[in-house]
Amino acid sequence: MKTCCVALLLVIAGTPVGAQQGLAGRVPPEIATLVRQLATSAAARGIPVEPLIQKAIEGSAKGVPAERVATALRALAAQLDAAAAALQQAGPARPDTAAIAAGAFALNAGLSPRDVTALAQVSRPPYSTAVTLRVASTLAAMGVPAAQTVELVTQTIASGGPATDVLGLPAQVMVGVSHGRGVTPAQAAAGLTRAAAARANAPGQNRPKPPHP
Amino acid sequence: MTDFHPQVKQLLDGELTLAQLPPELRAQGEEALRLLAAVDREPVTLPATLDARVLAELRRRAETPSFWRRLRLRPWTLVPAFAAGAALALLLSSPAPTPATSTVTVRFVLFAPEAQQVTLAGTFNQWDAAATPLVRTGAPGVWAATLILPAGQHQYAFVVDGARWVPDPAAPAVDDGFGRRNSVLSL
Repeated sequence: MKTCCVALLLVIAGTPVGAQQGLAGRVPPEIATLVRQLATSAAARGIPVEPLIQKAIEGSAKGVPAERVATALRALAAQLDAAAAALQQAGPARPDTAAIAAGAFALNAGLSPRDVTALAQVSRPPYSTAVTLRVASTLAAMGVPAAQTVELVTQTIASGGPATDVLGLPAQVMVGVSHGRGVTPAQAAAGLTRAAAARANAPGQNRPKPPHP
Repeated sequence: MTDFHPQVKQLLDGELTLAQLPPELRAQGEEALRLLAAVDREPVTLPATLDARVLAELRRRAETPSFWRRLRLRPWTLVPAFAAGAALALLLSSPAPTPATSTVTVRFVLFAPEAQQVTLAGTFNQWDAAATPLVRTGAPGVWAATLILPAGQHQYAFVVDGARWVPDPAAPAVDDGFGRRNSVLSL
């Protein structure tokens, strides 16, 4: 009997509901209730709930008033929905929760739903959609304009290098900015895009379809 | 050690941006940011052979009879241990952990000469401002902490003296939804 109870507790702890129980004592009761409502609705639609839980904990840790945390939670829930819709535009496959969370973060970083769709369309093994979107959002957060971010990631994937080529883009832009006096992130990204395009156009490379028709 | 202008120190603390500095201080500001970025900010990838070495060591130890393996346990003696294990699992499972495919060692550095205490809070420690303290390094005013983080995207901020949330001046940042900025780290 005891073994059964322990097993049941462990199963509950592994679910989103179990994860939400971690909010108890860390966020005001009204925020915990709101997270539960948003998470229940999100989970039913295949939307990840972990970003909502993290945002609630973050707001409370920073001492943000509850009403402002609630506003941020609703905005994040809307971003997650928008990201899921943008990813569904990219193809028939149902987007996974990691890609949706990364898509929502990309929207927060300044990319548009259209950019998210375009990046999902060019992502193919070994480039996962989630990783591509995370890299793109980091580039956008560094100050690379959205259209240029999409172009840089697209050309890098088209050049056919290993997945680490995409992962290393933010570091390469940072190096370009710190090594050249007065070089902006956009200029550093432009140089990397030209180099990737040259590699992509080299004989033997398969070019992907352009993201913006 | 270069003694930076107070406004350049504010830049390093994330309180000012480069564009907000007076033109005559921008070169010094850029230099300070470059110096800070160069202080062990490069992620360190663990050697590919590490997993194999750890597994080999585990196998070697498993083949050696230990005190615990020699100890004869009766079934009912396991109940308290099992309960304690379950409680620990419950504590650790909020929120549910995600399996990490790989980890990266990252060194976080902040120049905060006036600070008495600096900690790090982010998605990797449930935004717990007390969980990850930085320590003073040999260089005056420089605080640092080294963490092993799972590959993926992390958001974080430094917490100065338990109250002031400061984004990492050496990392990109995004709106946190509360009117402040979170630093972003992609591994």
